[in-house]
Amino acid sequence: MIHHHQPAHGRIPRVIILGGSGFVGQALARRLGRQGVETVPLTSTQLDLCSPNAVELLQEVVMRDDALVMAAALTPDRGKDVLTTMRNVTMGYHLAAFLQQTQCSHVIYLSSDAVYDDGASLLRETTPSSPATLYGQMHLLREKMLRAALEPQRCPLLVLRPCSVYGADDTHNSYGPNRFLRSAVSEQRIALFGDGEEKRDHVHVSDLCHVMHQALAQRSEGTLNVATGKAVSFLELAEAIRGICGGTVAIERTERRSPVTHRHFDVSSMVRAFPDVRFTPLTEGLTDYRAKLLDAARSFQEAYLR
Amino acid sequence: MIGFVGLSHLGIVSSVATAARGFGVLAYDPDPALADDLNNGHLPIFEPGLDDLLAECWPRLRFTSAAADLRRCELVYLSLDMPTDDGGHAELGPFGALLKQTVAHAASGATLVILSQLSPGCTRRWANRIAESRPDLRLFYQVETLILGGAVQRAMQPERLIVGCADAQDELPGPYVMLLQAFGCPVFRMSYESAELAKIAVNVHLASAVSVTNTLAELCEAVGADWNEIAPTLKLDRRIGPHAYLSPGLGIAGGNLERDLTAVQALASELGTDCGVVDAFLMNSRHRRDWALRALHAELTGASTVALLGLSYKPGTSSTKNSPALQLVRDLAPAQVRAYDPRAEADLREYPNLVRTSSALEACRGASALAVMTPWPEFATVPLAEVKLQMNGNLIIDPFGILDADQCDLLGFSTIRLGKPAPVKEAA
Repeated sequence: MIHHHQPAHGRIPRVIILGGSGFVGQALARRLGRQGVETVPLTSTQLDLCSPNAVELLQEVVMRDDALVMAAALTPDRGKDVLTTMRNVTMGYHLAAFLQQTQCSHVIYLSSDAVYDDGASLLRETTPSSPATLYGQMHLLREKMLRAALEPQRCPLLVLRPCSVYGADDTHNSYGPNRFLRSAVSEQRIALFGDGEEKRDHVHVSDLCHVMHQALAQRSEGTLNVATGKAVSFLELAEAIRGICGGTVAIERTERRSPVTHRHFDVSSMVRAFPDVRFTPLTEGLTDYRAKLLDAARSFQEAYLR
Repeated sequence: MIGFVGLSHLGIVSSVATAARGFGVLAYDPDPALADDLNNGHLPIFEPGLDDLLAECWPRLRFTSAAADLRRCELVYLSLDMPTDDGGHAELGPFGALLKQTVAHAASGATLVILSQLSPGCTRRWANRIAESRPDLRLFYQVETLILGGAVQRAMQPERLIVGCADAQDELPGPYVMLLQAFGCPVFRMSYESAELAKIAVNVHLASAVSVTNTLAELCEAVGADWNEIAPTLKLDRRIGPHAYLSPGLGIAGGNLERDLTAVQALASELGTDCGVVDAFLMNSRHRRDWALRALHAELTGASTVALLGLSYKPGTSSTKNSPALQLVRDLAPAQVRAYDPRAEADLREYPNLVRTSSALEACRGASALAVMTPWPEFATVPLAEVKLQMNGNLIIDPFGILDADQCDLLGFSTIRLGKPAPVKEAA
C-alpha cells in the first residue's frame, strides 16, 4: 500500500541521486532537470559508497531536507559472485549508517523484482520475497537496512521493485529488449534460449523515471512493483523487433539453459498509487530505442570518418 | 412468547418470520428510537417482502427497549448480527453486553438460543459462564442461514435447521421443539462446536465455489474462452450440481463470508492446522475486486468521468459492506464518479469524488466510461441508445453481463465482461 505525504504536483526539494551515471540514474537526472528540479547526480568516482569513509562523504554532500534516490548497485553483468554481493551490501550498509544520523525529507530505493522467488508467476507487493540469487538477496537486505535506518527518523521510504527496464542508454545488455535490439541492429540476428516461451514484463526507462518523478512530488512511501502488467514471451519480443527492423533479422534458437518460467505482475497497486502514469507500449518503446541506436551509430561513423 | 434480542438485520427478519409462523414475539433492542420506529412500521433495513410480512403479523409482534419485558418469554433468541472490523474479525463486545442483559432478565428456566454468528468454542464458554449465575437457564446455538436480499424466503422456508447443544444427545425443551417443528424442515442436533463450525463450513464452501469460478473465469478472459459456455456443463455434473455457485464476480464481499474465512484463519493459526486454501480464497478475492480498476485503467487515457451503476455489494440489498463499487470509487479519485443505486447510500464525506444521481441515465451524463458494478435487474432495462447519447465515451465495463450484449455491439460500445476475453481493438 502506497501512502502519499503530499498531494500530486507537490514541491520537490533538491534530489541527490546515488548511481548518477547509471542507466536509470542518468535518465532520472535528465527528466528532473527538464522539469527544473535541482538535481545532484553522483557517480562512484565522486562518491564511492564502498569506501570506508563513505558516511563522511555523504555528510559533506547531502543536506538536511534533501530527497535521496539510491540507484547505485553492481548489477549481475558486473558480477554474480560473493565479493560483488558484499560490495553491494557494503554500499547499503554505509547508506543506512548515514541515514540513521541525517534527516532527509524522502528516500527512494531502486530495488528489483529479483527479490521475488523465480517460481512465482503472478507477482504482487504482498508476494513473499524469497530471492533465488545473491543479487536478489542483496536487494532484499538493502531494503531492510534502509527501512530499519529510516523508521526511527520517520522519513518516508519508497521501495521500487521494477521488472526488466529497457532503453537506449542501457549499460547492462541483459537478455531481453536491450540485448535483442542491439544485436538486431548490429548483427541482424537475435539469439533466443529454447523457443523463447518465457513471458516477462518490460518497462521503458522513461516510464520508470516518470513513476520516480511522481513519487518525489508526492513524497510517496511504501513498496511498489513497477511493471506494465502486460508480459510478453521472448519470442513475441524478438518478432516485434524483427518487424520494427523491417523483417531482415534472423531469430536463432539456442539450447535452453533453464526451465521455462513466466513472470506476470498484478499492477493494481501501481494503478492505484499513480493513476496518471501510462506505460509506453512495447512496440513504441522499441521503435524509439532502435531510432536512438541508429542515430548513435550514425554519429559515431560521422565522427570516425571526419 | 418468543423473545428476540438485538434488532439488526438478523433479529428483525427472524422475529418477523417467527411471528408470521403464528407465534407471539417480543423483540428487544436497547435502542429506544429503533424500537419506536419498528413499532411504527418503519423498517431500518431493506429486504424484499419484509414490509408485507410485518404488516401481516402485526398483532403478534411487539418491539421494546425495556429489557425487563424479556421476563415474559420462555424462549429467547440472541439475534444480533456479529459486527466485523475492516479485517473481517468479529467484534464480540456488543453481543457480550446483550447476552449479559438477557441472562439478567430472563425468566426462570427460560431457554436461550444464540443465533448470532460465533466462532467454535464460544457458545460453550458462554454456557459455562451463564451456568455460574443462572444454572436454571439452558443455552443452545442455532445456525442462521439468511442471505441479504433473500432473507425473508430463507427465514420462512429454511432448508434445514441446525441446533448446537451442550451434548449432542440432549433433549430439546418443549417450546423450542414446537418452534422448530413449525418450519417443517429437517432439524439436525449436534454439539455446540459442530453447529458453530457447520455455519462456517457452509460459508467456506461457498467461498471455494466463488473463488474457483473467479479463477477459471479469469483464465477464460486470457485464453479466449467464454465462461458462460462452460458453466452449464458443470451444473449437469452431479458432483457439482444445478445449484452450484458458478457466476463470476468481483470477489467476496458483504462481510459474512469474509468473517468466516478470517475465523478459519485465526483458528488454524491457534490450533496448528493448514488453511492455505482459505488464504488463497482471500487473496483471489482481493485480486478479483480490482478487476474493474485494471480494465478501466487499460482502456482510458487521461482524466475521465466514470458512470457507476450500483453501489451495494450485491443486488437486493442496501448493504455496501466491502462493496467493490465503493472501492472503485475510492481508487478512481480524484476522477469524478457519477453513481446511481436504487437502494444503497454512501457517505459523501468519505468519497469526495462521488456524485450521487437520481437515475441511471443521469449518472451516464458526460461519462467516458460506464461500469455496472452491481447487477440490479432494473439496470437491464436502461435504454442503451439514451445511455449512448448521454456518454462522451463508448466504454462499458459490465462484469455481470447485465446489459444486452447485442445491443451494446450495435450501438458501438466496447464492452468488457467477466469470463469473456476483452474485445480486440482495431489497429489505428
